[in-house]
Parts: sequence; C-alpha cells; structure tokens
Amino acid sequence: MAKCFALMGWSLPVIESMQKTGRPFVVVSFPDFESYAQENNIPFLPYQLDEWSDTSNSLDLFEKLKAFDADVAVPLYEETVEWAGALNSIYRGDPRVLNRAFLFRNKAMMKRKALIGGLRVGLFEEVFNKEGVKAFMKRLNQANLQLDGEEDSWVHIKPFASAGTVGHRLLRSMSDVDEKCEDSDFPCLAESHLPGREFSCEAFINKGKIRFLNITEYVKLGYSNFIPEGRYLESKRDLIHKEVQKMVDIFGIEYGMVHPEWFLTEKDELNFGETACRIPGGHILELCSKSYEFDALAAFVICHDPNITEEELDEIFPAKDFKPKNYHGNVMIYPQKRQFSKLEIPESLNNEPYFVEHTLIAPYEGQKLSADRNGFGNHFGTINFKGEDPDRMTELLKHYEEEEFYV
Amino acid sequence: MGLTTDKVFINFDQSLQEFVDSGALSKKEKATKLASHIDILSLTRSGLAYLYHKSVELEQAGFFQGTSWNDPDKLVPFLVKGTLKYGHPSSSFEALSELRMLRYAKGEDVHELLSAGDAQSFMEEVLVHNLEFALREPTEETRMRMTERELKKAFNLFGFIMSEMDLKGVYEKLVDEVRMLCEQRPIRTQKARELISLVNRRFDTSGNSEKDKAIQVYIHALFSPSKNSEKHQDRDAYQQFLETANETALASEAHEMGEYMNATGLVSGYHALLLLHIVEKNPNLVPICLDLNDRGIAEWEKFHELVSVLILETVSWDNCQCIYGLARMLGKNLFSRRPVRVGLENLRKIKINPQVEKRILKSLTDPDMDVTALQYLIGGTIKVLGQPLGVGQGNNPTCQSARGISMWSQHSPAKLIDMIITVSTQNNLIMRFENQNLISNNLIKGLVDQLDYNLDVVSVVLVPHLDKIYNEMMRLSTGRLDDPHKWVNPAMYGQWIQVGFASCYDYMSNSIMDYPGYLRIFYGAFHPKYNGNQQMVYPNPVGIFITSNKGDMIGFHAISLLRVEETDAAELRAYFLNPNNEGRQDWGQGIRPSVHGKGEKQGESSLPFHHFAARVYAFHYSTLNVRSKLDEVPQEEINQVEKLAKESWGKSYLWNQQTKLW
Repeated sequence: MAKCFALMGWSLPVIESMQKTGRPFVVVSFPDFESYAQENNIPFLPYQLDEWSDTSNSLDLFEKLKAFDADVAVPLYEETVEWAGALNSIYRGDPRVLNRAFLFRNKAMMKRKALIGGLRVGLFEEVFNKEGVKAFMKRLNQANLQLDGEEDSWVHIKPFASAGTVGHRLLRSMSDVDEKCEDSDFPCLAESHLPGREFSCEAFINKGKIRFLNITEYVKLGYSNFIPEGRYLESKRDLIHKEVQKMVDIFGIEYGMVHPEWFLTEKDELNFGETACRIPGGHILELCSKSYEFDALAAFVICHDPNITEEELDEIFPAKDFKPKNYHGNVMIYPQKRQFSKLEIPESLNNEPYFVEHTLIAPYEGQKLSADRNGFGNHFGTINFKGEDPDRMTELLKHYEEEEFYV
Repeated sequence: MGLTTDKVFINFDQSLQEFVDSGALSKKEKATKLASHIDILSLTRSGLAYLYHKSVELEQAGFFQGTSWNDPDKLVPFLVKGTLKYGHPSSSFEALSELRMLRYAKGEDVHELLSAGDAQSFMEEVLVHNLEFALREPTEETRMRMTERELKKAFNLFGFIMSEMDLKGVYEKLVDEVRMLCEQRPIRTQKARELISLVNRRFDTSGNSEKDKAIQVYIHALFSPSKNSEKHQDRDAYQQFLETANETALASEAHEMGEYMNATGLVSGYHALLLLHIVEKNPNLVPICLDLNDRGIAEWEKFHELVSVLILETVSWDNCQCIYGLARMLGKNLFSRRPVRVGLENLRKIKINPQVEKRILKSLTDPDMDVTALQYLIGGTIKVLGQPLGVGQGNNPTCQSARGISMWSQHSPAKLIDMIITVSTQNNLIMRFENQNLISNNLIKGLVDQLDYNLDVVSVVLVPHLDKIYNEMMRLSTGRLDDPHKWVNPAMYGQWIQVGFASCYDYMSNSIMDYPGYLRIFYGAFHPKYNGNQQMVYPNPVGIFITSNKGDMIGFHAISLLRVEETDAAELRAYFLNPNNEGRQDWGQGIRPSVHGKGEKQGESSLPFHHFAARVYAFHYSTLNVRSKLDEVPQEEINQVEKLAKESWGKSYLWNQQTKLW
C-alpha cells in the first residue's frame, strides 16, 4: 500500500474522498490554497506548479515531498500530468514514466504512438501556420479523390497540450482556414475528421490491466452525458473493452486512469480520438460513482498505487457482475445569449420524475459573456437526472440542453 | 402549477441526507444542490409548509454555514428584498432563512442568541419592506427584474408568512398602505379590499388612535357603510330592511353610504342593494346616495331615465364598485355628450363573443351567479369612464395599452366605448398605421404571453388586441434610425399626440446625444416659465428610464405626462399617470414619486419638475411652438438635470457631446 499519495492539483471533491478512505495523502498546489488547507487540516505542500526553474522543478519537489513520505504522484489536472510523471519516474525508478507523461501532453506524439501500435487514427500532421493547414487539407482532398466543385474534407486543429475541447476548431473549407484560424493557434495538430459515434470511457488501470471500465454516453459533446452507456454502446462493451486494453498495452500504461475518446463506426470499427490521464470534465466521475455505487474519485487516486494488493483493489471497485440500477445523467447549462440578466427555470422541471437537482445560479444584472471563450467556456450550472430508461434520459438531456435558462 | 408527486419531498429528503453526510469540504456544493429543492418546494403552499417544518433542522445541519445568513441575530431586514430579487440560489436561501426566523418568532424553536421577540420584530420589518410581495402588487422595477417563477416564490413565501405570523407590529404600516392604495382610486379594488379585510381580521382596530380612526373608515366603507347595514349584516336581512324602511331611514342610509364611498373610493354590496331599491322607489334620494356635486345633480336630473336603466341593468352585489364610477361620470357631465349616451345605449344591446366572455369571467374573483358578463362589462365601462386615472396594467408589461385606455377615457370616451363594443362582439380590432390596416386577429404576438387576469373588465377585453397592434406598429417602425414610438404613439393614441418627437437616445450613434439640446426642448415645451406660461391640454405619452433606488438603470416604462403646475408651496411639479398602479417608488437620487399630498388628483403621481425631467428619455411636442422658446431656458436648469441623468441611468450609456439638429 502507498505510504502517501501526492495529489497534484487542488480539488475539494478528491480531497474529501481521500479523507473518507483514511489513506494518507498530501496536496501539492499553488500557495494560494495554503491558508484554506491549514484551516481545514489538509496536508498541503505549496508549490509554484506553473514555474520551471532552478528552484521549482521535480527534483526539488521530490525533496520537499520526502517530509510527507510520498511515494505515488497523482495528476488531477491536465497541467499537472508532467509533474506527476516526473515524480513517478523517480518513485518507480523508471525514466520512461516521464516520457509517457509527455505522450499525454503532445497530441501529435500520442497519435503517432497509436498509429505505430495499430489503432485506427485519422490522417494527422503537425502544422505551423495557415498555409500548412491548407496544404494538409489539399492533400486530404486528393486522398479522398475530390472532384471539382465538391466540398473540402473536414479538418480539425487542436493545440498539442490542452484539456478536452479547449482550442479545438473544426474547419470545413479552405475559407474556414482563413476565417477561423488565428496565428496564436500555431503550432498545433491538424487531423482529418473521424467518422463515427463519439463517446468516452474511463479505464481504471492497475498493473497494466483494466480493473474497471466505465463507458460514458455523450448526448451532446461538452453539454450532456450519462452513465452507464445506453443500449447500443452496451452491446459493444466487449469490443470497446478489448480496444481500450489494446491502447493501454500500446502506450504501456501501468497505473492510473485513462480517459480516451473514441468514434464507433457502423461497421463496428473504433477510431481513436485522443486520451487523457487526469480526471475527466463534465462531472463524469460523479455520475459514475452514483451509478456504480462506489467512490470513483478515491478509486482514481488509489489505482495509481503500484503496491496495492488485489484484495484492496477489489474493495474499492464495484463487483465484477455489478449492474447499475439507474442511469445518471447531467446537462451543463450555458447561456445561449451574449447578454442576459435572469435565470429562468422552466416549470416542466418541477414535475419531471427523472429530475434530481441542479446547481444553477442567477447571473448578475446584465451579465455579458466575454468574447474569448475557451473550449465550451464555463457552464453556469448542472442539472442532474436519474432514471431507468436510457432513451428517456437521452430525450431529456437533449431537451434541456436546448432550453434557454438565461434570458 | 402544483406538485403532482410526492417525489419532490422524497428528493428533498435525500438531498438533505446527502448534505448531512457530506464532509466539510463539499458542504457548500451540496448546499447548492439542496437549494435547488428548496427552489421547487417554495413554489407551493404544501412545499413551504414542509420547508417551514424542516427549516431549523436545516439550519442546525449547517445549511447557512459560510453564507451571510449564518447568524440569524445579525441579519438586516432591509436586505431581504434585494436577495429575493437576485434570484436563485440566493432567493431560495433567503426564503428558508425567513421560514426559520418565523419559527423562532413563533417560539416553535429556540435560538440561543436570538429571542423570539427579536425574531418577531425582524419579521415585521421584513414584511413592511416587502408589502409588494405580500399584496402581490410588484413594482415596475420588481416585475422587470424578477422572473415569473421567482415572483411566484416571493408571493407564495409572503402569503405563507402573513398567514402564520403575528401581525400586531405591522399594523400602522398596513393602515398607511391602505390609505395610500385607496388614495390613488384604482379601478380594480381587490387588493385594497384584501388588505382592509386582513387588517380587520387580524387586528383590534377599535381604539382611538389616529390610525385606528383612519382604518375604521375603510372597514366601515367595506363592511358596514351605514347604521342599518351594520345591524343587518346578512344580505337578505338588509334587503328586507330596505323593503320596510321609510324615506327618512333610507335617506340616512343613502347619506352615510354616499359619504363613505366618496371618502374611500370603495363601494359595498349594501350600497348596490340600496341604490337598486331607491332608484325605483325613491329616485329623489339617488343624488344623495351617489354623493353627487352640483353638476352631478343637474346631470342626474336631465338624464335620470337612461341612468336609471343603467343602474337597474348593471348594478349588483358583486358589481357594486361601478357605482363609484357612475357617480364620477355624472360629476363630469359625461352623459351630456350625445356620443357617450348613444355608445352606452349601444353597449347595452350587444351580444358578447364567447371568447371575450371567457376573458371577462376569468377576471372576476367572486362573480354573482345571476349577473351576466355583459352587465360586468357595462359596469367596467362605467368605471373606466368615471375613473380614467384608475386604469392599471396589472401584472402585465402592457403599460402602453393601459395608457391608451386612460387617455381615450379622458378625451374620447365615445371612441373608447365604440372600441369596447367592437372588441366585445368581434374579438378583433382594426387600427390604421401608415396606410395599412392592422387587424389584431391576424397578428401573432404581443408583448404579453400570458395575460395576468388581475385587471379591470375593460382592460381584459381590450388589452390583448391593443397589445398586439402596438407590437406590430413597433415592428413596422423599427430600423428607421429613430425611436419607433415617434410614429407609433400618434398612430396608436390618436390626434391628441403631437407629431414632434424628441428622444435623447440617438439610434445612429447608439449614444445619448446632445442631452442639453434635448432638455431645452423639454423645458421649452412644458415648463411654464419658459413656454410662455402655457398649460398642457392633452396627456403626453412619455418614455422614462426606470431606475433602482440606487439610481441604476433598470429598463424602460411608458407613462403619460398630464400637467405641470405649481403647488401651494410654490414648487413646480410634473403630474403624471403611472399605469402600473403603484405611483410610489424610489428611483434613487432622492427621486421618489408621490401620490398624495402634493397637489395630486386621485390617481396621479407627481415629482418636482426637474426630477421628472431627469428620468424622461422621449416625449412628443409641437415643433412649431417650441422653436422660439429654446434660448430662454437657463443653463443652470439644464446642468442640474444633466448631472442627475449622468449619475444615474446615464452610466449605462455613451454620452455624445455633438450638437444635434432637432
């Protein structure tokens, strides 16, 4: 069993879950959180995680963590993946652990690795300017045997190292390249559009094996999802399980949790989108905990531990044959207007049997959204649903995603 | 909407359990979730009762921890309204906070730092500051700021508080409220009646204080407006008394009731029975019964045949309030106008469209079974004609329509009657706008989605159509690089509206442009010192900025400027109609419209002239008359108003110094 988990990043829900398990941990985060940590008796090591210098580096952090007897580092956020990788390289005496962390932080490298290993990926390339994107689109058009007058092939560009959908742009034509791309986007990864139905899964890995696989059904990417997956994806569970294990093997992931995104085609082929190894957004682990009746956040941390026993592992995860009783879903609410002043909760929600609760808050008077939204921006609250029928769940999430809450 | 399942209660209990079980770190998040259940429960009476029951348990579980509601002994009653207006989750926390305070006030639970007495005075203060919720009469600002759901929550909360709380301490405030409400002589008297009944039910008013005496007048006006109505409380008993009473007794009854009616603007059912009786048996007592002035008496004598018919056909126990309107009509010699007489004769003979009938019946709270919709409609018409300044928009964003009804009632009563007849029979209305006919039934949308039926009968009939036509006119005039009201107002209201139009907001530059130049026109047109000592003849539809009590911009509102006159104290004031029925508001910067005691006629609001000027953004005027007056307006006047404007709503706009060619 780990002597002490170093949690890389500040997350109250994770801290609370760890407190409940009674396992030793220390939180490594910005000095801003120190006073709160002290008031609430949270073991804390202040560290300038956004700085890399003579006084702020993994060797120094390693030394400082000795006081806490830490022997496993757990990345909670995209930005702390390298820190955790570097520390774990030291703890495990394996420099490649750090390189593997880089893999998660460079999408081009990640794709290359996947391609070499035999996962289905699209055509991709590193691009450095708009011309590069256009050249890429042109080659893609050629490969797709485009005729004169036909539409251009779709291209996605993504920053090498950002979480989820941040900085992601879909370009449908040459003119889109001029209109939507900005110089600050580059360099980045350009990638052909992958066909298929998008979903994500959360695979908890220990000793290189999937210990628990959660599949999240996306109703609308970035807006709504539910767990467990609906009927169709459930019927593909074995296929998905195999493919995820394959990915884990290719990447050589031994401990932690991966959160890959896939596209399932009608021919039952899985296209690999990308993967992360931190806590996914969209309150996914919260939903997962509720449906599978275990503490997914604690499990996330604990499966990073190389010294855990099989019995302990069995204890933290749901039983192998566990069938969730209910689907738990949520929809994140974003204002649809640029300017709005009121929160208007539709009457229909009051009597909706699937409705559980929401965390919506009223805007301040005449609130405006700033123009520079990242990814999907910050949502204004979440509505949680629970029920037995995945189709009804889908319907509800779709409905409330379109409903205007901020007027 | 009711809560159809017990699921909301189960969900609440589960959420509460999760909150209790959660660790210190996630309490806040769980509290937010729990608040979403409070939000839903506070929409219904049963939900509130449940929350009331659970409120202290929630408090003890730490629901308020880390929020400003944590120490009940340190709460400020004055701030309650602001948080309620802020919306969920603040309003849900606030509601729960009031509920637990109520428990402390009633001694159902004990707080170690807060005595029951302190909790009680806190709740009293809260209630007094929030009478608009308690009486379901939100101000314009409140209506704009709060969503329907939030309003419903607030109404519901205060309804609950009123029924559960000991109201002793708020007595004086409520009496003042009654007085101010009635002083404005609203056509729709339901709120006043409810409030008076409440005071009557819940307080001992038999004392001798000034407040006791004041409220007794209103209570008598409603429940015992004469010696014999007090003796024969039962409706049938009073009717029997009338059958046997001699003329002296009837005269004394008529005298008392007439005076109560005139003093309060309120009419009781007894008054209806009495009037119906004497109109047939002792018609000479009618002028006393209506407390008529000399003009009114002369009018009665000349037109008693028609008026008697109207009384017999229209007046009833529940429809009694129209007696006051009738008295006012007579006092204004409206029957001397042939078109009005003909119009009323016509109205008597119509067959009401079933849809319109439905609307009328829906607006009545406790209709007499044997009184038809037509009788209510005639009664409603009489009320509007008698009390043009008592027209209100109710809980609807239809200030323009209300303003129109009021204006026609004053200056074109026959046209108004005609419009009522058309809409009542056809459920349709045609108005002309720039060479096209706008047919309301062919138009889809007005400003109001769901009419609030707390309206007078005439408004219930007309407003849905006026609103759609108004909206269509606005639609047709947008995009002309000036305020659409410039074209809509004259077309909508009629030839009384000057075609000259000034707005300080410039559409082209999206800014407040040449405000001083704009103010000069306002002063040159309306200020007697600079307009050649001219008085206003017709109401002027004016657009104003509604501002909060801190002077912050909230929105726009339509009112009518009626007259500008000096008070006895030599203060120049602007008198206006605010169709939201709530003349008393606080617009910040010390700008607080008054409704009584500053020379207002009943139903008028007023402000010092420069205060009024500082909130107006658009008005109509005669371009020809005003030209020579502009240079006479002194710069100091302009500066004074500009300062008020810039420091309030002006903060929400760009200001452009460029001179404009007006």
